[in-house]
Amino acid sequence: MAHRTKGSKLFITVLYVVTSCSAVPISDLLDRASQRSDRMHSLSRTLTHELDSHFPPIGRMMSPRPSMCHTSSLQTPSDKMQTLQVSESDLLSLARSLLQAWLDPLVVLSASARTLPHPAQNAISNKIQELQEHSKNLGDGLDILSGKMGPEAQNLSFLPFRGGNEIGQDRISKLVNFHFLMSCFRRDSHKIDSFLKVLRCRATMQPELC
Amino acid sequence: MLNTGHDLVATLSSDVSTEAEIEESDRWYQRFVGGAMMTNVWEAVVLLLLPFLAPNAEGTQYSPPGKPALTRCRSPEKETFTCWWEPGSDGGLSTTYALYYRKENSETVYECPDYHTAGENSCFFNKNDTSIWVNYNITVVATNALGSSFSDPVDIDVVYIVKPNPPEELNVTIMEDKGWPYLRVSWKPPQKADTRSGWITLIYELRVKLEGEDDWEMHLAGQQKMFNIFSLRSGGSYHVQVRCKPDHGFWSEWSSADYIKVPDYFHREKSMWILITVFSTFIFLIFMCFLHMNSNRSLKYYILPPIPGPKIKGFDKQLLKNGKSDEIFCALVVPDFPPTTSSKCENLMVEYLEVYVSEEQELILEESKELHNSLKCEGSTSDNDSGRGSCDSHTLLMDKCGEAKGDERQTDGEGHPMEMEAQMHQRDWKEGTLSSAYQDIVSPDMSSGRVKTWPSVFSPLHQCGSTSLNQMNSLAMAKQHCLSDNLSPPGSASSFLPQSGRSTTETHRPNYCEFYSSDKQLSSPKPQAQTHRKLQAHSDINISHKQAGLQSPALRPTEYVEVQRVNKEDMVLLQPVESGCVCGDGCPQVCQDYSKVKGLNSDNMLLLHRDVMEGEEVRSHCEKQETNGCITSHITPATQKPTDCIPTVTPIVQKEMGLAVSGYVDTAAMLTLPTH
Repeated sequence: MAHRTKGSKLFITVLYVVTSCSAVPISDLLDRASQRSDRMHSLSRTLTHELDSHFPPIGRMMSPRPSMCHTSSLQTPSDKMQTLQVSESDLLSLARSLLQAWLDPLVVLSASARTLPHPAQNAISNKIQELQEHSKNLGDGLDILSGKMGPEAQNLSFLPFRGGNEIGQDRISKLVNFHFLMSCFRRDSHKIDSFLKVLRCRATMQPELC
Repeated sequence: MLNTGHDLVATLSSDVSTEAEIEESDRWYQRFVGGAMMTNVWEAVVLLLLPFLAPNAEGTQYSPPGKPALTRCRSPEKETFTCWWEPGSDGGLSTTYALYYRKENSETVYECPDYHTAGENSCFFNKNDTSIWVNYNITVVATNALGSSFSDPVDIDVVYIVKPNPPEELNVTIMEDKGWPYLRVSWKPPQKADTRSGWITLIYELRVKLEGEDDWEMHLAGQQKMFNIFSLRSGGSYHVQVRCKPDHGFWSEWSSADYIKVPDYFHREKSMWILITVFSTFIFLIFMCFLHMNSNRSLKYYILPPIPGPKIKGFDKQLLKNGKSDEIFCALVVPDFPPTTSSKCENLMVEYLEVYVSEEQELILEESKELHNSLKCEGSTSDNDSGRGSCDSHTLLMDKCGEAKGDERQTDGEGHPMEMEAQMHQRDWKEGTLSSAYQDIVSPDMSSGRVKTWPSVFSPLHQCGSTSLNQMNSLAMAKQHCLSDNLSPPGSASSFLPQSGRSTTETHRPNYCEFYSSDKQLSSPKPQAQTHRKLQAHSDINISHKQAGLQSPALRPTEYVEVQRVNKEDMVLLQPVESGCVCGDGCPQVCQDYSKVKGLNSDNMLLLHRDVMEGEEVRSHCEKQETNGCITSHITPATQKPTDCIPTVTPIVQKEMGLAVSGYVDTAAMLTLPTH
């Protein structure tokens, strides 16, 4: 692999040492984590799709730009080259930071979903709850992983959510803001998923799956 | 971005033919029309200029271009992407197209770097120009001499438009597993997709079909690049195709098909089948010879045995065919049947009757409602929906039981079905089972197995004038015994009412009579009895005592009446079965037996009096009941039945001192006694 750096070689060594100690191997943990992040991203895609189906046309004009997402300040790789050059710990740290940044907004979204003026409000509310669950489980799993991957993985970037507790007063702004937040989450969940899958293939014991 | 676009258009339009040129060609045309001699060259020139001239002559048809539209953008590997657009009308002039985009965070407008790699009307973004997790705002502009038009802008993020190329190097081979072949399909991911680093995760799907068929068999292969297909048809030729999809993207196209032919492997199977066939034929032949030798009857006898005819003495098939069932059953009545010798009676009466209808058996009641209906009972089948005898219903008592339903199927000489549970709770009206049970007794041929309570001894057809009234009488008496109990105190007027069993009286005599239809449990000759039904004649007294809900009393059997024997004077002696006296709270275990026939009153009512063992009050009670006609066998209504057999009943009744012929005691009749 052309992208193997000294750091990654060290990582692999650490990995082998760790796996020899009958703990759950990191590859296994990463596999589980990536499955969960995959599920999380699928859910968010379904949600944005549902929101799109009933989106007021004027909302598209009012919609904030994607660069207004509260996580946009986090520097993430923007193409494959850059991504593959990031170290494992950094990748994990990025993933964890993103996940952490969405804990509060998901709570706000969940609360707003109950009164969302949307025909599929009930389904949306359920999915948000499921998202929260996945998000929490994934966060716990990544915390465990980070413990096994070195000190750099412990660094977390703080990305505060400044949207408050309400997503809007009137119907249009509620829908627009909800949609905007979900699209931000969709992108961030895709980032998390991609990073974890890159990590998974780096750590895997089964190269035929990668 | 719009401003920029306009500027661009302005510069572009300078290349297009101007008005000046058009005027010149106009002049030229006029000169030509003026009649100058045309050579081929001029013709060619004219033809070339015709598209410009002709419209000019008729009128201007040039227009700015129509609005183009971006149709799709795709990325095969999340590293590059391509966008295609659909041009609008070109307005008659040569139109050029340009694609402009802007990235998410900047205002800089860029133009498409590559219009050719991906073909006509496309724009290809290479690796350097592609950023992921970044929104692109893309617009296509169509420009001609007269103007330009902009497509609607489209926002895309490369990661959401991934559609990979089909998998490559599809390879199908035949492998064998213990003599059975299977296909092993293997492939490689598309070349450009980088699955090794985990940048793209692909899942695969393959499809297989037999040559010449239309239906594909789909198999999802997950992330693996190899798949086995079993259950092949020998000698078949298969087409296999595979496609892939990224974890969050679109399915690729199907790869090119690979063909494979499965060799014939049927021979082994064939030999086995031949062996089996030969062996079984051999066995069959032996069997046939065996049959032939050992019997003088033909094979036909074994394959299609003759249907046994009815073996009922006196049964006339012709009558059955004629359809007059009453006659049939009358014909079946034999004077001697059932045997009525007292010696036998004693033996035969040892068994006790249990007719138990529990609430749980309601369903069965419903089922057997039809049976019930088929049984003849005057007024018993009126309540078709309930599976209960009509005489069950407290509200319908007299009416229903009195009316001749016109069910002439089976003369119900016995009278109304006996309602042991007249005062039962409504639930207990399922004594329809009882009634049907009795009817069963009456007409064993008809009864198809509701409750076969009586031993065969008691199953004579009374309706047609059987002489074995004694047994029926005993039954009647037993019933009457219960009924009389039910009648009991005058204060129990409410006893007939829905609050069945809740009387105001406080006497605590256990007047439960239970008739158990001993179906399976006992040696019932009628094994058709489906369920264990318990008829409970709850006395009002007891029930009032309990104040129980509707349900409970039904489940409290109190008393079994055992028909002991019929003595010489044609008196049925009944004796309560001690064990059954479960009366409930506060019920003194007083079991009385109505074993003495007092006589027949003017109304053809059979009066039984109790051979009481204790309690003056009981006796008085009983007597009171007697006077009230505690036992009623409504012969009269029975006689009203327009059936052929009935007339035979009444004379017998009179002969026998008015013992209840049918054994049906009409609770209804009792309930409507003037005493209450």
